[in-house]
Formats: sequence, C-alpha cells, structure tokens
Amino acid sequence: MFRFDAHRSVHFCDGSSRRDFLHAGALSVLGLTLPKFLTLQAAAREQDKPAADNDINCILLFLVGGPSQLDTWDPKPDAPAEVRGPFRPIATKVPGIQITEIFPKMAAHMDKISLIRSVYHTATAVHDTGHQMMQTGRLFQGGIEHPHMGCVLGHLKGQRGEVPAHVLMPRPIGRTGGNLPHGQNAGYLGKSFDPFILNADPSDPKFKVPDLLPPDYISAQRLDRRQKLREAVDGAMKTFEASPQAQQMDDNFSLAYRLMTNPQARSAFQLDAEPNPLRDRYGRTRFGQCCLLARRLVERGVRFVTINMFETVFDEITWDIHGSRPFTDIQEMSRLVAPNFDQAYSALLEDLQVRGLLEKTMVIAMGEFGRTPKINPAGGRDHHPGVWTVLMGGGPIQGGRVIGESDEIGAYPKARPISPAEVAATVYHGLGLDPHQELRGPQNRPIPLVDYSVQPIRDLF
Amino acid sequence: MLRLLCVVIGVASCPGLLLGADGLAVFPREVHVGPLNPQQPLWVGPQEGGHCTGDATTKATYRSLDPQVATVDEIGIVRPVADGQTHIEVQLGEQTSKIPVTVQGTKEPARIRFTADVLAILTHAGCNSGACHGALAGKGGMKLSLRGYDPEADHLVLTRQALGRRIDLVHPEQSLFLLKPLGQVKHGGGKRLEADLPEYELLLQWLKQGAIGPQLDEPKVVRLAIYPPHLRLQPEAELRVIVQAVYNNGQVRDVTRWCKFSSSEDAVATVMEENRVQVKGHGEAAISAWFDNHIANCGIRVPFAHPPVTLPVAGEAVAGVYHNRIDGPINQKLMDLRLKPSPLCSDEEFIRRAYLDAIGTLPTLPEQERFLKETAPDKRAKLIDALLSRPEYIDFWTYKWSDLLLVSSRKLPQKAIWSFHQFIRQSVAQNVGWDRFARSILTAQGSNLDNGAVNFFLLHKDVAQRAETTSVTFLGMSIGCARCHNHPLEKWTQDQYWQFANLFSRVGLFNGDRGGEVIAKALPSGEVLHLRRGIPMPPTPLDGEALPLDSTMDRRTALADWLTAPANPYFAKAIINRVWRHLMGRGLVEPEDDLRLSNPASHPELLADLEKEFIQSGHDVKALIRAIMNSAAYQRSASALPENAADDRFYTRFLVKRLSAEVLLDVYTQLTLVPTPFNQVHSGGTGGVEGTADYPLGMRAIQLPDTKVVSYFLDAFGRPEREVACACERLEEATVTQALHLSNGETLNQKLRDPNSLISRWQEQKTPAADIVDQLYRSALCRAPTAKEKEQLMELLQKEPPEQRRELLEDLVWAVLTSREFLFNR
Repeated sequence: MFRFDAHRSVHFCDGSSRRDFLHAGALSVLGLTLPKFLTLQAAAREQDKPAADNDINCILLFLVGGPSQLDTWDPKPDAPAEVRGPFRPIATKVPGIQITEIFPKMAAHMDKISLIRSVYHTATAVHDTGHQMMQTGRLFQGGIEHPHMGCVLGHLKGQRGEVPAHVLMPRPIGRTGGNLPHGQNAGYLGKSFDPFILNADPSDPKFKVPDLLPPDYISAQRLDRRQKLREAVDGAMKTFEASPQAQQMDDNFSLAYRLMTNPQARSAFQLDAEPNPLRDRYGRTRFGQCCLLARRLVERGVRFVTINMFETVFDEITWDIHGSRPFTDIQEMSRLVAPNFDQAYSALLEDLQVRGLLEKTMVIAMGEFGRTPKINPAGGRDHHPGVWTVLMGGGPIQGGRVIGESDEIGAYPKARPISPAEVAATVYHGLGLDPHQELRGPQNRPIPLVDYSVQPIRDLF
Repeated sequence: MLRLLCVVIGVASCPGLLLGADGLAVFPREVHVGPLNPQQPLWVGPQEGGHCTGDATTKATYRSLDPQVATVDEIGIVRPVADGQTHIEVQLGEQTSKIPVTVQGTKEPARIRFTADVLAILTHAGCNSGACHGALAGKGGMKLSLRGYDPEADHLVLTRQALGRRIDLVHPEQSLFLLKPLGQVKHGGGKRLEADLPEYELLLQWLKQGAIGPQLDEPKVVRLAIYPPHLRLQPEAELRVIVQAVYNNGQVRDVTRWCKFSSSEDAVATVMEENRVQVKGHGEAAISAWFDNHIANCGIRVPFAHPPVTLPVAGEAVAGVYHNRIDGPINQKLMDLRLKPSPLCSDEEFIRRAYLDAIGTLPTLPEQERFLKETAPDKRAKLIDALLSRPEYIDFWTYKWSDLLLVSSRKLPQKAIWSFHQFIRQSVAQNVGWDRFARSILTAQGSNLDNGAVNFFLLHKDVAQRAETTSVTFLGMSIGCARCHNHPLEKWTQDQYWQFANLFSRVGLFNGDRGGEVIAKALPSGEVLHLRRGIPMPPTPLDGEALPLDSTMDRRTALADWLTAPANPYFAKAIINRVWRHLMGRGLVEPEDDLRLSNPASHPELLADLEKEFIQSGHDVKALIRAIMNSAAYQRSASALPENAADDRFYTRFLVKRLSAEVLLDVYTQLTLVPTPFNQVHSGGTGGVEGTADYPLGMRAIQLPDTKVVSYFLDAFGRPEREVACACERLEEATVTQALHLSNGETLNQKLRDPNSLISRWQEQKTPAADIVDQLYRSALCRAPTAKEKEQLMELLQKEPPEQRRELLEDLVWAVLTSREFLFNR
C-alpha cells in the first residue's frame, strides 16, 4: 500500500486524507505527548528537501564481479593483442586521459572524476575478499566483522532527520562462491547501524518499498495507539536489557515507525515523482533507476547510498568476464554491462552537478578486483587482484586526475600502488572523518577506521 | 630407545620442572638439537594450580652445564656444539630447573629434505603465498604451488625450469634461488632471507648436497606441540609461544619461526606479530599455530574481575544449579572464569521456553494451568517427556533436518520432495539413531519416490559437491578449500580431499518409469580424478583407511562405516553441537557447522562427555534433547545479573532467541485462529510464481516440505533457501524489514481483521474486557498482566465507544504480538 503519487490526495478508510494523516499524528492518544518526530513536520514538505548541513555524502557504485582494468579505464593500446583486448582507447574531456571506447558518455565527464589506476590487493583472488576490503578497508580475520564505510558514517554522524543514514539497494550481494560476502553491514557496530535495504527493483513499473507505509485501514490514530500499547507491554520486562538482539528489535520498530510516519522519508523513496525524461536519461535499468533513486535520497538527507550493480556473479551478465558459462565474455560485457553503467553513471554526475549536489556528494565506482591481463582461451579474463582502477569524483575530490600507474600490460602497479585500505582512508577523509579515529570494537577494543599506518590519497583533494 | 631414556632421566633428575600445581614451568621438557634443529628456544614461566600464569622467558637466567656440547644464550635459545648430552639450568627468582639436552648428528652434515625443510622455509618466507609466486599465474615468471601443496612441481620449477638458471650447483652461493630473496639481485618481492639466519644455511646446504627433490621416505609431520599448552592471564599480559613439530621418524624440532599464528577470539587475545600474543579482554581464546597442514592450540583463560564463585560440579542434584552431568563442566568453567549464573527461571517462563524449543508451538491455556498447578518436584522433567512425544515434535524436527538436508523444489520434482520429506519424517517419528539416519541417506539405493533418501544424490549430482555437502551436513566441517589446494587453515590436503571425494564416485542415476522418478544404483566402476594429478585417488575417508582402487564393494558402505563409527572424531559432535545451539542459543562451537581444530569448542570436556553418552545411547537425538533441556544451564532465567552481564558464551543465563520465521508465523495462526494460506510456489529457476493446491488451508509453516512456497513473511524473517549446506542460510537477526512487515504488511494485519479471528469471537461472545486482557497475556506471553498493565488497559477498553472496540482490540493484540517479549523465546 505504498503510494508514490504526490499530486493526488490519498484517502484513508476513515475519510481523512494523507495530509490529514500527518496532522492526525499530532492528536494526543492515551493522553500521551507528541512524538518528537512530528515537530519536524512543519519543515517537511512533499517537495525536495535539501540536506540540512554541509556534511559530505557518498554514493558508492559497487561494480560487482570486478571490471577488467584493460577493457575499461586503463587501456594499453601498445600491449600485445591478447592483452590489450578488443577495444580502442578514446580521448576524454581531459587532455591526456584516455579510456576505452565502451564508455563514450562518461568520457565527456572526465573533468569531474579522477582515476586511481594502481589499486591492488594481495589476499585470495575471490570475490568475497575484495567485497569486504573495498567496503570496509580490511580483510576479515580473527572473527571480527568490520563495518561497511557507510555504516561507520551513520554511526559517527547519525541520521539526518528521519531518513536512514545508509541505504543499500537494490539488495545485498548474494553468494559469489562460499558464504554470503562479508562487509556489507555494520558488523561490530551493531545491527542498528546496518544499512536500510531497499529490497525492491526501482526499474520495476510497480516499484514500491515493501511495507514502507501502513495500509489504508490503519489510521494515524491507530498507528500512534499501537506504538503506545506496544511500549506499555514491553515496559514490564527487564529480561531484555542484556540482550543486544532484543534491543535491536526495539530499535527496528522505532526506526520503522519513524520511516513510515515522516513525510521526508516517504517522499525520498517516491521515484515516480521524477520526470520521465530524467528517468530515461538514467536508463530504465535496475542500475540506472537505482542511481536516480540514490540522488533523490541524498537530496533528502541520506548520507551514504550503496548500489550493488549486480546481486550475484552467476547467471547474470556482469563484470565477471571469465568467458565460459555461467559467466560473461568480454564482448557481452561491452554490449550489455558497459552501456548500462556509462549511461547511468554519466547521468548521475550530470544530475548531481545541475542540482548543486556534486560538490557535497562523492561518487565512487569500484569493483572488487581487476582481471588477468592475458585473455583466456574462452575469450574472457579471470580474477586478478594485482591491479585495477577505481573511479572517484564529487565532494572534495578533484576531477581530471590520474593517480598511480599500472605496468605495461596492466598486470601490477608500476607506480604508487594503492591498497583497499588507502581507498577507504580516502573515502573517510573525503567524508570529513579522521581515518584514524577509533571505534569501539568487540569488548570495547579500540579499532581505528583504517590502520594507523594507512593514509588517504592526499593528491586527490 | 635413547630418547626414551632421556625422558626417564629427565623426570628422575629434575622432578620440579614438570607441571605440578605450583612452581616453575619450563618447555620443552627435553631438548634435542643438531643440524636439523639448529636452535631451540625455551619457554619459562611461573605456574599456579596447573596453569602457567605469565611468560618470564626473558627474565629467567640460563646456563649450560657443558658448553662443549650445547650453548644457551640470555633469552633461552639452545644451540648445538658437539654430539653429547648435558643440561641447561634455568633460574627464575628463587626457583631453578634443569632441562636435559641431547645433541646429535653434528659429526656428519644432515641431509636437507626438500619438502620438510626447503618448502617449509619458502612457505614461511611467503615465497609461495597467493600474493607472490603461489599465485595462479605465478609471479615474475616463476610459479610455485600455493603454500607448497605440490612439491614435485615446485622442485622442477626451482631446479629445471628456465634452463635451470635458478640454481648453480657448482657455485651454490651464486644461485639466483638465494641471491634474489637475499636482495642481492633485483627481486620484485624484496628481501625475504637473511644470510646470518639458520634458514639461509639450510637452503645453502640443500644446494651443496645436490638440490635433491622430494623423496618418498621424507619424514612427515605427525603433530605439532605448542608451549605452553594453556595459561591463565590478566588483561594487558603479553607472551610468546613456541611450537615444535614432531615427525614420523621421531625427529622433533622447533618450527616457531615457520608457523602462522591466529587467535580464535581477538577480543580476548590478539596475535601481535609472529608468535607474540597480547591479552585484550576477559574470557577464553585459543591461539592456533599452523605449520605444514598441522595445527596446535594454546588455550588462554582470562578470568573476569568478579569475586570467586563456588558451584557443584558433581554429585546430588541442586535445583537451579546442578541438575545433571551437563552442569558439571559448565559450572567448572563458570568457577574458572568467576562468572555467577542467573537463578532458575519461573515455571511460566519454563513452559513457554520448552514448548517453543521442543515443538515450535505455544502452550494452550489449559496446558499452562495444568502445569502451573502441578506440584511434583520433577514436573519439568515430565513436561519435557510429554513434549518429546507430541506429534508437533515430529513436524518441528522434521523441518529442522529438512533445512539441513536442503529439501526444496529448486532441484527436485514435487513428488520427490514429498518422498524425501516423508523419509525424514519417519526417521524423526521413530527416533531412528542419527548414525542409522546418516547411513540410510549416504548408502541410499532404489527409486527416489519410494526411498526418499535417494534424493540426496539427486540434489548433489557432482561428486565433489557430494563430498563437500556430506562433510558440512554430517561432520559440521567445510573442506571446500582443499578442492583446489591444501586447506590454508586446516589440516586437510588436496590429496585427502580427492581421496574422500572418490568415495562418492560410484553412484549411478537412471530415469525410472514414473514421472520424476530416478533410480540410484551403486556402480562397480567409475572414478573421480584428482583435480591436479589427473588420476583417481584411493577412496579414503578423512584420516581413515584407504580402500583398494580395484575393490568392487559399494564405496559408500565404507564411507558410512567410517562416518558412524564411535571413533569418528566429528560425526557425533557435529549433531550434538547443532542440537545444543538450537536449545541453548549458542553452539559449543560457533558457527555451528565450523568444527575445525583451529576453532575449538568453548567447553571441550562437555562436548566429549556428551559425545560419549550420545554414542552409548545409540545416537539418540531425543535423549540428547531431553538431557540438555533438563540441565540447570537450560533452565536459567534470561535476566542478567551484574556479575554475568558481560558474558554471552558461557551459559550464565538463558540466551534469548528470536522466534524463527516458521514458528512465528505458526504462533500467529495459533493465537489469532486464522490460518495462513500457502497456495503459491516459486517455480523453477525463472523466478516465476504459480498456484498450488498441495498445501491445504490449516497446514502449519513447520509442516511445509518445501522452501519454495511463496511467503514474504517467511522470507523477511529469514527462512533459509536450502540451496547451500550452511547454517548461515537462516537469518536469525532482527531487521527493520521485519518491523515494517509486522507494522504495515498484510500477514499479521489480515489475521487480526479476519472475520473468523479470535477478536471476532470475543466480540460475539461479548467477552469482558478483564478476561480479554488476561487471556491475551496468558496465551501469548504465558504470564498474567501486571496490576499496572491491567489497570492501564482496562481503562482504555472501557472508555472506548463500542463501535471502536474492534479496532482497539486489534491494536491491543497487535501490540502484544509484536512486543519483544513475544517475539523472543526467553
């Protein structure tokens, strides 16, 4: 029963309109006082509501599967054919920076973004290690579940208004081999800092966030009454004070309640309020519409949005171009994956800039590793964490720069190797956080955001 | 013989050095040094009550009684000089100890072995790690096998490949093999070797001796010994551990420098670098040392800063503290760690807890009344017995084992799921021993529609997948890493993996006459080939006896014999740990299906006791459940005391558990009287949905045989997909999605609004408000409302005009059914 149509007054069974619903919340039920959130109501309108402070936001485009560095943003036209691959380099808006021809649209925006061409990791070459290191800056060892960068931001800065601090869409990355990939949640910070998971496909014509709004037959009075009754029932039990899991359930209920009653929050997910030409500009794909929704969310106060371009690397055409089935080969990637990315990514940069949001929103696009320089017999490239390229722009990040360099065949860093932890440190620095600020880990153990020896890439700022 | 003598002399001449109650502990208790063990560090520390309490190795003083035989330096490292025997005298404060030393083999140079020596050094230096030459593509043109799992190939690479340029047998010192890691010639991997350390000397000797490759008679590591084996420490303490490898030829040598160390619980003790460990917090941790696919653990105990606790560990039952033998090891641990347990839970709490855990159902009001009135002292035991004979017990545990065995229509036709489900159901109903249950699955033959167990082989058609799934399902252990290379953290080698996998290679699947029918037959031939060697390996259970390759017996019989034998170190523990975790909220081993040497149990003695009893009982799962539920540990209150609030793993209080997806949906049905329709299934791999009439209205969620039945509620609350054998498939956490669904979703709201719901009945029967509040609290929460709660709610109910009453009642029931008190088993 989630309605996105802002221009139609929606009626409840009890005859009140959606707007009445907001006011009805102010009625005192059970003689109890107004919930705090409704004081924000005056400020909350159905129109765009800019973020209330000047904190930097972040949109992380996770290119699940691991794009090939050679076929994308680090072309090697002079390398042998089996290395350089089928695509020609093209010029970009920034003289001297070339990318391959499969990204014609983003070439026009190169002044907004910088390329880090020497990212590498030395852990096992499986998706999970890259997923965890790129999203948390750390390899998981010793049973400690480190938090995703977006969850750290939410933990340190809190949420703006009543929208979640960190939204993950459309869904978490599923299995890419063994267990579910790590590093997608708040880890030791606790479940209350987990991302809000969209669990829906915004490109679906019937898109709605499951259960975000109450059904018609539950009026505002009832909604409020239910909360009070629930609090009354729970008040009696002391048993749960020591149970983090039970506390969590409570936090979830209050977050859910705030989400469904707050106009700012409701409007944030209202994707069909966006004009059709703009929706087309992003591309009517799952990834494209996620990017558009991300902009909408950031505009309304969400601090960090993680978009997983794919949910799995199996049975889907992804960046994981091993060549043989169930994977993709290079050509299929260039036909189906690259244009989708090119269109959405360039639209996002453009749209953010037009709205004046780009200067306070970092946009980061990265995969979990690169691909083997030599094309394999199946016409693909395999996992290769030796070197790959990460794209950063927006916020305080300067565009049009190239950091680091890979060797002649794009196999390893030749200059300025950059570890996943340095990428994370750069993101934290860009978000205005001290990368060595300490969090409280298990049993209050202090754990810095990234290890003390790791520094952000300062020449990006 | 000589070695044996040394031990005897050692014991006789210096009794004080052995682990007694108090005094000085010195490890190892005898030292053997020589060319193959050119230095042996000692470990010295004070001990109390059988535990080392600190590392004093650098504070002690050392003296060799005969420096012509062996020397010792100021930090306790013993080095050989000439063949002979002597003693090292160790002094710490007032206490002294003498360690016998034997020096052997100094007269002639020892033969350096390729696998045991050279590869061990390369592995420790990281040369063959995944980041360097061990990468799939090698590095800098040289490729070694990952962490040395393929010695033959590595020898070839080092000595023959690249025109043999890597070694120079005429001028061994000039070999690239040495110059590169020394950093004397440009090396992408930087400096990896120091010329003044014994490793260099060993590598050089190997070259001088002709760079001989791996030999069949090379000594193999049989076990590791870590010193000290266990300690009791305080936060902030620091220590180093030492590790010796024991070889099958009797050789013992220090491998501390070649080991990889890790901690099972970083929050308690952390490995700082190499073998240095720092204590971080209270509790217990195991420091694991890994070398050459062997593992040894050093247990570190850090008692909490509470007053000492005294609890019974044997003898007569004491209500709430000691009920049965399970409580012995639990209480011992609580005393060791100074943790005070919470008291016994109330009868109201107990009946709700026991019903939910044993049969996934809430007790009805009459059942509650009967139990609360009962005065027999053993009424809880009686209740447990009664629950274990209820039909819901069969539904509930059938569901649980169907999760374990991945029963789902994703890969199986509808008839086959029913047959598989029926097989499990019958086994639960007859309480078939877990050994017989496993055997009938793993040796299943015939039609999958007549013998449901056959479907196990349909679900897992790939031989390697059969081996891996069997291992997780019945051994609680993942061996998947060893498919491609030796397991990086475990003892399993790639050879063992393919030996094990070959046990599953002779199962033929043939189409039957009926739709969806497949016939499984044991075949007289068929092999699975070792991924790297390309040859069949003799079929061998893990650490078991090999079958001859030409034997025509059903290999699966040998597998089942080994699996279910009392001596199998994993089989019984795996199922015990699963049942334990279900009831106690935390496994003795966590995660529940990650039994590994490097992930030790929190209570190893208890697990061993339970294993013994379980095997003696004929692998009786029901008896196991009964024993756990009768223990004081299970029957504690869920409320924390100040003295145990910091604990979440030593069973000081009952750990609350969110009701599982299926149970929650069922109890909503039970309480609202409105059944959940299950009339759609996800079809095939296409993601489509189609109608089904297989599940009549009124069927409970825990009776469903298939996880492809459409239910947003079950998915939101974490129903597993049953695709991969892993307990992690089920989401146990509380999420915002769940809260939103309970608030706004159609599942609970529709049950409340239904014209046939409990609320309608109240309305029709004009049930007085006081009775409604009472009934609701008792049936849902198994307790009476408090006076304050009752007063508040009564006032509200009486105030509301009659036409608003239904909505108010709906909201009241909603509030109770979404309270955390309701959503959790406590």
